[in-house]
Amino acid sequence: MTTTTDAVPGAARRDRLLLSRGLATVLGALVLLILAGVVVAPSSVSSGAIQSALPFAAVLAIVALGQTLVVMQGGIDLSVPGSVSLVIVIITHEAYGDDSKVLPAALAALVVALGAGLVNGLLIGRLGLNAIVATLGTNALLYAVVLRISGGTPRQTTDLLAGVANGDVVGIPNAVLFATGATVVTTLVVKKTVAGRRFEAVGANGRAAWATGLKVQRHRAGGYVGAQVLYWLGGLLLAGILNKPTAYQGDAYLLASVAAVVLGGTSLLGGRGNLAATAVAALFLTQLDQFVLALGVDFAVKNLVQAAAFAIGVALYTIDWGFLRRKLSGSGGSAPVTATP
Amino acid sequence: MFRPTSAHRLAAASGAVALMLAACGGSSSDTTPASGSTVAGAPSWCGSKKITLGLTDGFGGNSWRLVTTAAAKNEISKCPSVTDFTYADGQGDTQKAISDIQGLVAKGVDALVVFPDAGNAILPALQSAKQAGVVTVPYRVNPGGKDGQDYDIWVGADFVTDGKNWANWITKNLPNGGNMLFLSGPAGNSQGLDERKGLESVLDPAKYKFIGARPFEVTNWDPAKTQQVLSAAIAKYPKIDVIVSDFGPSLVGALPEFAKSGRSIPALVTSDGNVLSCFWAKNKAANPDFKLFTVATGNDNARLAVDWAVALATGGTPPVAKVFDAPVFEDSVSSTPHPVTCKSNLPGDIYLSAQMPGEEQAKLLK
Repeated sequence: MTTTTDAVPGAARRDRLLLSRGLATVLGALVLLILAGVVVAPSSVSSGAIQSALPFAAVLAIVALGQTLVVMQGGIDLSVPGSVSLVIVIITHEAYGDDSKVLPAALAALVVALGAGLVNGLLIGRLGLNAIVATLGTNALLYAVVLRISGGTPRQTTDLLAGVANGDVVGIPNAVLFATGATVVTTLVVKKTVAGRRFEAVGANGRAAWATGLKVQRHRAGGYVGAQVLYWLGGLLLAGILNKPTAYQGDAYLLASVAAVVLGGTSLLGGRGNLAATAVAALFLTQLDQFVLALGVDFAVKNLVQAAAFAIGVALYTIDWGFLRRKLSGSGGSAPVTATP
Repeated sequence: MFRPTSAHRLAAASGAVALMLAACGGSSSDTTPASGSTVAGAPSWCGSKKITLGLTDGFGGNSWRLVTTAAAKNEISKCPSVTDFTYADGQGDTQKAISDIQGLVAKGVDALVVFPDAGNAILPALQSAKQAGVVTVPYRVNPGGKDGQDYDIWVGADFVTDGKNWANWITKNLPNGGNMLFLSGPAGNSQGLDERKGLESVLDPAKYKFIGARPFEVTNWDPAKTQQVLSAAIAKYPKIDVIVSDFGPSLVGALPEFAKSGRSIPALVTSDGNVLSCFWAKNKAANPDFKLFTVATGNDNARLAVDWAVALATGGTPPVAKVFDAPVFEDSVSSTPHPVTCKSNLPGDIYLSAQMPGEEQAKLLK
């Protein structure tokens, strides 16, 4: 795991360590999970299981990247279920059984997604509403549209979309390529462009950013719009991966996306975003599902194992291990019974 | 996807709020105008007393429910004594399902047909509807309680018979035994438990081995979850001889996982759906072990429930049957009573086992 020796001062050095900590931790957790799989549930790491889990991991990664952008602005986006479901409903209803309509339907869905992002951005960035309240409201609106279009009834995906989402290039599923592309592009935009650096600065400290003359409201709103574009991509892929999605297919992605953000080490208070770590965390969560399924245990035990693994994953990141070690060694010869600070 | 319990509850709560808000603009109501006061030419269950009728669904969000609701509406339209008809969809939210029932009782309907998805949780609402003097007929899912006391009659589906039908086919077509993977909906759902009972009552445990979780693999009837569960099972069990599932069409996205592992799709005993039949027709050549046996998916269960509710409320003659028995539908081996029937010119989301013709179901989906 990460070994942070406090004997090394130097802001730059510590900065770099901090930057990689989320990624290193979640990668470590993933390796542990895979090792546990090899030992306890070998079928969870067989190529068949991994091949079929990867597309779902990719969708979660893309959606969680969107959530990361919002969390970087100190917000949270509860409109994920409505957004993902709406994209799926639009693409499956408007392009029902007709491959030639897939592209127009996808574009229409993108317009709607951008609209939803702007509504969120306006309410939170401009009008200063609480993110939880505003995005919950947007989610309700989006679900109203879902029901309006579908009447709650889903449709089947077209062959074209299914082909794209389920296909592969030299053995790598297309969905994974999309997720990798989304991670790289989002990371480059946030970390390497001027706008991206400003975006992160606004998230870290809005007042300071405002004092330096940055347009705080616009950057805040931008996070929600960018997030919707990523939800749109995730929704499109999910519609293709599942032959017959339901009209409420996005429901599973709300908490999972927040979990991936937290596991990836992005602070819920905003600031620096660990985008690549979020994507790896999505892989971890999906593999965790696969692991408990492969264990073949009772349904209740499955949930317990998942919760425990999740707690360990978060603990790896949250607990200050260096502090804990010092505390323990500082107590001298006396046996450390509990480590409660 | 990962869903911790408390987090899930939060998701459910926020979803509930969203859906309730959404429902404010989305609840639909249909009106069937009475065209005559006589019941001449109407079925015997249609009495002469004028009534209004409500139909509530716990979850209306799939094509099966759409066809089932349409079947109920079609049945209602046969009886001119029903002057007004209202439909409400609980959208998978138990609280909304309960308030739908209460709302319809307050509105003053004379008869209420309820799909009690949430089972026992719906029972108090049914009891208060009955106490308010509404003819209350839950159907298909068992809400607990007693006929005549908590509601007028429960018109259930006999899922034990489904299990027996499946088991009989398995015994006949895999006489040497084998490994069975059984998939059903949410954890502990009574349909899955009854089916398992039926299966176990016929199959010789020495020859036929249930693999995977007990009493069944939990899929929530959700295509994503089904795909995950099936791919995990394929990786874990090198030999799966037969898959038993109570929602066949949800497997269509998942079955190609066998091909990815270089294995033939095994025998499948399940409920029918056009998409599944067409999938079989397309894939049987490449999958030598892929035999298909289906029982009717039971859309017409709603018709029997409507017959009962209308008969009791209008003073007609109630039907004889109290339980809906799903008939055997397709058998790819013996072709009796039907060979596997794929209508490729019609959408996948229709159920050819239903009384309503496929073409008419297709119109519903437009």
